[in-house]
Amino acid sequence: MENFVYYKPQTLKECVSLLEEHPDAALLNGGTDLIIQMREGLRIPTDIIDIKNIPDLQGIKVGPDEIFIGGAVTMSQVYDHPELSKLFPYLCDAARSVGSIQIRNRATIAGNLVNASPLADTATPLLCLEAVIHTYGPNGTREIPLNEFFVFVRKTLLEPNEVVTGISFKPDALDKAVFTKLSRRNEVDLSTVCCSVGRKGGEYRIAFGSVAPTPLRLLDVEAYLKDKELTDDVRREAAEIARGTVSPISDVRASKEYRLDMVANILEDALAILQKEG
Amino acid sequence: MKQLINFKLNGEEVEHYAPLNRTLLKMLREDFDLTGAKEGCGAGECGACTVIMDGVAVNSCLVLAAELDGREVTTIEGLSMDGKLDPLQVAFVNEAALQCGYCTPGMIMTAKVLLKNNPQPSEDEIKEGISGNLCRCTGYKKIIEAIQSAADKYQAENE
Amino acid sequence: MSTEFVGKSVKRVDGVKKVTGSLKYVDDLKMSKMYYTAIKRSPYPHAKILSINLEKAKELKGVKDIITGDLFTKRGGLYLQDKNFLAVGKVRYRGEAVVAVAAITEEIAHKAVSLIEVEYEEMPAVTNAVEGMKPGAPLVHPDLGEYKVAPVFFPVPGTNISNHYRLRKGNVDEAFEKADHVVENKFYIPHIQHTPIENHVAIAQAEIDGTIQIWASCQSPFAVRQAISHDFDIPMNKVRVMSPAVGGGFGSKGGTTLEGILVPLAQRNPGHPIKLTYSREDEFQNAYVRQGLHATIKTGIMNDGNIIAVQNEFIWDGGAYNEYGVNIAKAAGYASSGPYDIENVWTDSYCVYTNHPVGGPYRGFGMGEMHFGIEQNMDILAEKVGISPVEIRRINGMRPGGVTGTGEVVEVAGLQECLEIVAERLKVEEKEAPSAPHKLRGKGIASGWKAPSMPNTAASSAIIKLNEDGTAHLMVSAQDIGQGSDTIMTQIAAEVLSISPDKITIRTGDTDHTPYEWQTVASRITYSAGRATYEAAMDAKNQLIELAQIKLGVYGRDLELKDGFIVAKYHPEKRVSIASLAIGLVFDDGSAVHGPIIGRGAFIPPNIRDADKETGLGDHPVAFWTYGVQGVDLEVDTRTGKVDILRVISCFDVGKVMNPQLLEGQVEGAIMQSLGTALFEELMLKDGKVLNPSFVDYKIPTSEDMPEMEIYFVENPEETGPFGARGVAEPAMVPAAPATANAIFDATGIRMYTMPMTAERIYEALKQKGVSK
Repeated sequence: MENFVYYKPQTLKECVSLLEEHPDAALLNGGTDLIIQMREGLRIPTDIIDIKNIPDLQGIKVGPDEIFIGGAVTMSQVYDHPELSKLFPYLCDAARSVGSIQIRNRATIAGNLVNASPLADTATPLLCLEAVIHTYGPNGTREIPLNEFFVFVRKTLLEPNEVVTGISFKPDALDKAVFTKLSRRNEVDLSTVCCSVGRKGGEYRIAFGSVAPTPLRLLDVEAYLKDKELTDDVRREAAEIARGTVSPISDVRASKEYRLDMVANILEDALAILQKEG
Repeated sequence: MKQLINFKLNGEEVEHYAPLNRTLLKMLREDFDLTGAKEGCGAGECGACTVIMDGVAVNSCLVLAAELDGREVTTIEGLSMDGKLDPLQVAFVNEAALQCGYCTPGMIMTAKVLLKNNPQPSEDEIKEGISGNLCRCTGYKKIIEAIQSAADKYQAENE
Repeated sequence: MSTEFVGKSVKRVDGVKKVTGSLKYVDDLKMSKMYYTAIKRSPYPHAKILSINLEKAKELKGVKDIITGDLFTKRGGLYLQDKNFLAVGKVRYRGEAVVAVAAITEEIAHKAVSLIEVEYEEMPAVTNAVEGMKPGAPLVHPDLGEYKVAPVFFPVPGTNISNHYRLRKGNVDEAFEKADHVVENKFYIPHIQHTPIENHVAIAQAEIDGTIQIWASCQSPFAVRQAISHDFDIPMNKVRVMSPAVGGGFGSKGGTTLEGILVPLAQRNPGHPIKLTYSREDEFQNAYVRQGLHATIKTGIMNDGNIIAVQNEFIWDGGAYNEYGVNIAKAAGYASSGPYDIENVWTDSYCVYTNHPVGGPYRGFGMGEMHFGIEQNMDILAEKVGISPVEIRRINGMRPGGVTGTGEVVEVAGLQECLEIVAERLKVEEKEAPSAPHKLRGKGIASGWKAPSMPNTAASSAIIKLNEDGTAHLMVSAQDIGQGSDTIMTQIAAEVLSISPDKITIRTGDTDHTPYEWQTVASRITYSAGRATYEAAMDAKNQLIELAQIKLGVYGRDLELKDGFIVAKYHPEKRVSIASLAIGLVFDDGSAVHGPIIGRGAFIPPNIRDADKETGLGDHPVAFWTYGVQGVDLEVDTRTGKVDILRVISCFDVGKVMNPQLLEGQVEGAIMQSLGTALFEELMLKDGKVLNPSFVDYKIPTSEDMPEMEIYFVENPEETGPFGARGVAEPAMVPAAPATANAIFDATGIRMYTMPMTAERIYEALKQKGVSK
């Protein structure tokens, strides 16, 4: 690992000015991706800006109109949170499916999103929740719908000197949802395919990971399902539309063909669960 | 480049000039001769380097030394500081929950936090709890039994 | 025989050191003036080295030395001398070591490596063993004909075949004519890696007087000494190899690997310990891997269930160097009938050079790979003739008095007992309901056998020194690589001397101070080093009795050792303590005789003879066979193809259970390792490149993958083993994978001819069959 200068800003303002001063700096949050990249020489930052102690990035706020998850909140803080685990079990399932307990004690939800991996596990429930990314930068704050946030593999709308301060969503965004993850091994594995399927009244929200350059909503499927009763035929048809909407690749984890079949199967099965459990 | 950090290591306050481009794992092993935590992969996939930081289990290969300032770290060496084995350590010996021993320190540290948060875990909870610690020797069965046995021991001690 | 310590779950003697983290493994050793090594490796699977430019690297501050292969051109190897520790002239696999740098820190060494420029000319590569056997294939070792080879291996110069093993028993052609059914199936088993949690690591330090010390995480200090002495022309009394602790081996730390890179650096930099630690990525690419296998098995069976002929072709993808791998082809060859009594056997087992990572010993030594085919073939045959998987194994499975593929008559074989226990516990013929409508449930069994695959002369020795207080030191060079040999050896010595195990301290792994051991491999340690320990303890005991006769005036025949005393059997009041005789017998007048008691034990398996070179036939080619059966109960998810292993039942004939708790642990670990290979482990290779050299994409089982396990043993003693024990650590890894395949068939009706049986592969097969849509 190369040498660097280490900063531990106490405010967002301080953080952003450090970013502006050091163009080759890296933000350190949970560090579970950054430190591996530094070890492998894939990233050689001149400066490390450790943001995880900034007070504004801490905590989970459960309000009547908004749920807010701070930018430094870890995966385990999410699923250990009594209200979140009661109200949003699918989000907690997704957070719990990331890495090992040791990783989840460090890795943050914000980091998972900012990395913009096609298979970011927490992205799919948050896409279904129509979450909003809150940022702070040289030009003040911004709110970016998660749906627009991902641009391509490892590319987001985040500006160079911007920091994600948190993620918010409406408490009543969904009536119910199901998170599904397929991986090679039972635990501590990357998704072969992951998905969240949610229902709000007669509307459905469906998001998939590992089937396209970014995690994405399947709007065509959602449109098809709107106000429909989830009969066997409807579920099967939805699965077929989904198969035609996604564009997975083949890699060491699975072939494109298998992923396509799994997209159809897990969507069909998740819809069945929604239908069964009302 | 070095930076002064103050942190608590196995119960003692430490003042240390840490080389910044060093992970917590490397710092423990090189600067403090605490070699119980092992590097198995350097990428947070095997758990052999697990230590307890501020009460939670972390992969010390994925923590920078510089982050340590103001924090508290416990390593496997910290479990038997008074010359007495921790009930988990006793249970691992009694249940033959170790073979080559390379994953053992990390496994015990993960189990230590697991039992702190969940004093009477079910078998499934133990399985989930230690799934970030790879063991190639034992097949895990005796490790799970050891953790159950230590849980009973802690319980008895507290009653 | 009633025993006090043997057969009991004595606690591991290394337990406390391991749970406290105080045991020092090689990577934990810190020495003054240490230099750290990094390696420049080949980016090509097969290429000529045109030039190496070290200038920039040499200029880097902190770089102390750089060496290349052309400085050390003497070839070495365990059975076939085909390798150099640094590439000479050309590279034969992607990752082969080309240049080694020593520097004052690891970071500088790595930086220096990045500054080294090597110019290559790429050559056509062999990336498939079957293709590599064909005439006209590029030659990985064009000089094979000049290589020195042990006389029991048969390289074919001018080809990539490093060993062609032949077995010819009876007349298979006639038998196939006669058979009611003949089936032929092809199986492919890919490369896998051992993944001990401790990566390879070694330190070497030379002195100006020419002595060299090596600390290595290795299974076989004496084999390393032999290799270093030979390859670098250093007398053995000047080479000291120590292995203070080993964080798992499974074969990967057998033989000699990275130690040879360090020796020349140490010699050129006397006084400086030179250290090399492999990364996990190195481990996957540059340590040994398990060889790939292409197997074709043709079997003839009569309607009554009798198998009358088998013909095998095994093509082993041995990788770039086969110095060790040639023996895997041989071991698989002589075991190729499986644990069955078959009259006509024809086997060709080829070890083939490819431009893949180096194949080497892996727990099971060919058996895990081969039985994946053999045991599925058994079930296929059973179905053909309409009998159950249990029945076909009852009919053909080895029994005492049966004859092996090489024509050896076996006297001891507990296979049938194991089979009945597993069949009963698994309720193999009982269909059980799956846990959900989209799941299918199935059960399968498989048998397995293995012999220690070692030279006839693989020897062991032990020394026991008694101390003045009646305690003892036991010295062996059997390495405790996790399997628990330190505890087992201690138990054996404790039993013979009748002193408690905590009064014995065991020392291992130092070629200057602990006596000869061939290698800690082949599931031979309890058997062979255990027998040497037994002999050493008996020697000490006999000396004690000799002195006690004089002291007590009781004839030696009537003396026994009990709780630290030599006691007269019929007059127990007459006794003398071991402590009082440990340094010799003192007479009433103050004079003394004999001196310190030191027990010496040596063992070499008796009467193992080479088989016939042409036919492979031999009446006693191996020390013993270990037999066992495992059964698997599982579910297959038809929506995803994913397999959930619910239960595994295991039974092996171990001769004697030396320590129930440790033995169970061995088998449980072996089962999990076997299930890993069955379900998801595969070193993915493309054009010689490992696509998944990390735990991110090479998955080994976690605690969440653990099924219920029931472990049983039967005890038909091995007469040459200590207390009747034979080896089991490798055999226990053999049947679970084929049993899984057979259970998948039982559940789904699909046959999986390739490992691993991933969710994707199973789903594809289910889809083709119309089970999944």
